[in-house]
Amino acid sequence: MTHTSHIHDDGSHHDHDHPHAEISVGEKPGYYAVMETAVRELLIAKGLITANDIRHQLEVLDSRTPALGAKVVARAWVDPGFKARLLADGRAACEEFGISFYDDTQLIVLENTPAVHNLIVCTLCSCYPRPVLGLPPDWYKLKPYRARAVSEPRVVLREFGTIIPDDVEVRVSDSTSAVRYLVLPMRPAGTENLGEEQLAALVTRDAMIGVIPVTLDQEVGQ
Amino acid sequence: MSGSEDLVRRLPNDIGGFAAGSVQRVEHDLLPWEKSCHALADVLDFTKIINTEEKRRGVEALGETMIGQLSYYERWIVAFANILFAKQILSPTELAMKMAEVEARHVDAGDARG
Amino acid sequence: MPTLKPVAAPPIQGVVPALNELPGFSPGDAIRVGVRSPIGHYRVPIYLRGKTGTVVQVIEPAMVDNEAEGFGKNAGSKRHYYRISIPMTQVWADYQGSPRDELRIEIFETWLERV
Repeated sequence: MTHTSHIHDDGSHHDHDHPHAEISVGEKPGYYAVMETAVRELLIAKGLITANDIRHQLEVLDSRTPALGAKVVARAWVDPGFKARLLADGRAACEEFGISFYDDTQLIVLENTPAVHNLIVCTLCSCYPRPVLGLPPDWYKLKPYRARAVSEPRVVLREFGTIIPDDVEVRVSDSTSAVRYLVLPMRPAGTENLGEEQLAALVTRDAMIGVIPVTLDQEVGQ
Repeated sequence: MSGSEDLVRRLPNDIGGFAAGSVQRVEHDLLPWEKSCHALADVLDFTKIINTEEKRRGVEALGETMIGQLSYYERWIVAFANILFAKQILSPTELAMKMAEVEARHVDAGDARG
Repeated sequence: MPTLKPVAAPPIQGVVPALNELPGFSPGDAIRVGVRSPIGHYRVPIYLRGKTGTVVQVIEPAMVDNEAEGFGKNAGSKRHYYRISIPMTQVWADYQGSPRDELRIEIFETWLERV
């Protein structure tokens, strides 16, 4: 058994022996990896799905990263017409921009302003705007964030280093159904001379979840 | 409400407002099988063999102990297996035999290298 | 901000909508979240049961109720659902933060009661 690192649902991070060891070359796959292969191959053998369906969807998933959301945000910052359409119908505006939605979800884009700070969470599972941000980070799917973002959002935000002044409204959106959210962060001061591409480079995944603002520091190292 | 009723009425994933520790900003790159499991989930939803809501229900049905001890995609694949049994698309023995076959491939590969 | 999407108007004279075709609630309506306890599968978190709030938006298009979808229903009997706003101080008696802080969530019509 390989010594491996594993993230538990309560957010704790233990190092211990586990039956689901990470797979590396020459190593036997773990129990659940074997199960996944077996289920997939049985469904393919029965003609219910095809290997190509899976291969193609892996390409779809690989093509979705926070860089897409960042481009949407930067476009909204420089194009007021696009921003208005994005806020009116997030999915339609993303599709207009060339980002397809591969599932049945709608997208509500939540604009952060000097008066309102938005934060997104899914208390029941892990709903996330995957077509525009890719797959969510582990912390978004774990108990501490899911349990507490709806009841003490300001404390959770502080844990991300984000202090929201008392005169700013905190608005938490809990995703339960076919609606997904994307936070449109505030454009930082001092970026008046930056182009759309440079602006997009400032926009992080966490800013589009709403746990941190977009800052100029982000440019360092990019 | 008695303790046992609450186990039935509150789904184990319904944790909004619960006390919990501070947020640790953990993340990991998906393992190849986890990514494959995600692609499988999407394809099962597109084809409505298992829609997304059935997957959620299947995970909830695992119960609190399994939800607490299995990782995210471990819960998904076990839920898929259970739902496919319920729909009579797969049988438990069929899956067990296929898993033994998949495992044997790797044992063989190991023997060949040895 | 002016909305850019056409919004359905009430039916003109002579037009009879189907049962449940039109949303039963409109933006601004005061609502209470139902307090029932379904078992098996639901998507209305327990922390919101019985809380009062306001309809912000009707979400289009109507969808299959997720309590049925969770058991394999993929089409038919679509339900309207709504973006709801509830003050945090309503949800949590001991809420720490601004009294203007809000929770927003989507809830199917079957769970909403008119206040």
